Amino acid sequence: MTQRKRLSNVQSSSQSKRQSNSFMTQEEDEDATFTQPSTSQVQRGLEKLTPAQVDQKTAEVVQYILVKDQKKIPVRRADLVKHVVKDYRTVYPEIIKRAMRTFEQVFGLKLVEIDSKNHMYVLVNNLDASTARPSPVERPSNPKMGLLFVILSVIFMKGGVVRENLIWNTLKKLRVDPGQRHEEFGDVRKVITDEFVRQRYLEYVRIPHTEPVEYEFRWGQRSDMEVSKAQILEFMGQLHEQDPRSWTQQYREVHSAAAASSSQASSSSNHR
Amino acid sequence: SRLVMRKARTGGDDEAVRQNGSSSRRRADQHQGDGEDHDSSSGGVQDDDDDNDLGLRREIRSKYRDLINSVQQNREDMLSPSNNKLTEVLEEANKLFKDVRQAREAALDAQLLVVATDLGKEKASQLFSEGSAFDPTAFAEHLLSFMGLNRLEDEDDEPPNGCAGDGYLPKDAWHRLARKAECCFRTAPSFHYMMGSFYTEPPPPKQRIERQRKAPSKEAKRIMPTQLKKIEESHQEATEKEVERILGYLKSYYQDDPSPISYYEFVIDPNSFSRTVENIFHTSFLIRDGLARLKLDSDKLPCIEPVEEGEVEAAGSFSRKQCIVSISPKIWRVSSFELQLQILFRHNHEM
Repeated sequence: MTQRKRLSNVQSSSQSKRQSNSFMTQEEDEDATFTQPSTSQVQRGLEKLTPAQVDQKTAEVVQYILVKDQKKIPVRRADLVKHVVKDYRTVYPEIIKRAMRTFEQVFGLKLVEIDSKNHMYVLVNNLDASTARPSPVERPSNPKMGLLFVILSVIFMKGGVVRENLIWNTLKKLRVDPGQRHEEFGDVRKVITDEFVRQRYLEYVRIPHTEPVEYEFRWGQRSDMEVSKAQILEFMGQLHEQDPRSWTQQYREVHSAAAASSSQASSSSNHR
Repeated sequence: SRLVMRKARTGGDDEAVRQNGSSSRRRADQHQGDGEDHDSSSGGVQDDDDDNDLGLRREIRSKYRDLINSVQQNREDMLSPSNNKLTEVLEEANKLFKDVRQAREAALDAQLLVVATDLGKEKASQLFSEGSAFDPTAFAEHLLSFMGLNRLEDEDDEPPNGCAGDGYLPKDAWHRLARKAECCFRTAPSFHYMMGSFYTEPPPPKQRIERQRKAPSKEAKRIMPTQLKKIEESHQEATEKEVERILGYLKSYYQDDPSPISYYEFVIDPNSFSRTVENIFHTSFLIRDGLARLKLDSDKLPCIEPVEEGEVEAAGSFSRKQCIVSISPKIWRVSSFELQLQILFRHNHEM
């Protein structure tokens, strides 16, 4: 009932869209009822609101995302609209645009849509960590990042996909056993296959036709945004006392990735 | 007999399988051992031969499973270009396949093929990839060194981490690695309030502040009084002296003329305003202490007279009234002039 009520506020163009998607889940349906308003709709919406109101709503969105990002779980657009934006959904693109600007100018962060199909956002640091001097503020390091780093490195060096057993065996050599409770990480299997996956640092995908069931690991969408392959290769070189260029395929990927990421950055700003 | 019927049916499938098998990889030789020939047309099957065959089927399936397991468990080992283990597995599979009669065994054979070809594909990719291969084992070894693995073996104690047994990792091993890894990550710092959330209950530090405040004030008091006393004493002495002096004047005037003296005449000093004020101040002490008395005369003007020594104590029982005397330089000038005139006039009058 409430969904139909909400629909009456939305323009007629989206109603026909809803009719075509009649078999979606509740969550998807909520998102679909939120269709990106057109620029003219946004304009009209803005005319009805005072600048103070729009600023206030933008600030709420910024705060919501900042708090949601604490756990590093991506923010869904559907949640954002449902819990924060609410009646201001007609001017949603404007609010998101302003929020992105606030993040960049005030916090030095970047709000990036990592999933354009499911509409999910993450916050990434806009400052380049490799060139930055060590932070004047003593921040405690998170050992889980070390664990993640090992996994991402292996995946990358192995061409982008690895079977899960390779990861488990490598970790066992580092005294991390998924079958045992680890002093630092606790339930290792849960951290890697559940937490890191929900945070979109890793993808844990089932390999078809395997009996017993086997999974493979890939880089997650957040890792694609946050993690520098160039830096990983650099560290590999230091660790193995080898020239990074000796890994020719990976080296090539790093340099083509650098070209791709710069174009990716420009495309992410068109958040449609 | 039901068992025989089922066997006969499966026999038909087997026939098809066998035919397929022979057309694909290799010839399926007739099984020599028990001399069984599962012709779909034949209905008669010996019981003894069935049991032997059952056992053999099971054995074949078991061997296939072993092969599959060995490939899966020792995958990395087989990947190594230094050995031909994969080829050995395939040769073993070939041998087994000769005895395959039923769909179940064939399915296992197919599964083994999938696993083996997958491994073969990875081996091939290793072969054709340019540049150095990446060895996760070597990577792990280097990481352990980086994390500060203590390789000294203590023969007496057991290493705290069960597994590898040579050396143990320091407590901050993963922190060390995480710090190094930070340069590879562009993680947004987590948002947290700097001071935390505020409490609604009154904070305990309030008491502490009060105590702190009390301490300095006590000291101050201790310091202060010694100084003040001195000042007060000097003032007190001066005042007392003046008051006594004025009382003396009052008494002597009263002795000469035992009528109440005009108050204003008494306090006003025609030559000095400040002296006048001081006289008023000192006279007030006399009034306060009951040594002098103020009353209104017939003209409703105030006049002052000393109190008899005997009356002094009794004076305390009188109802006390308070009045405020004010004087300004203007009034003083006018009054002093009038007084002077009065004095002059009286003088002349007396004369």
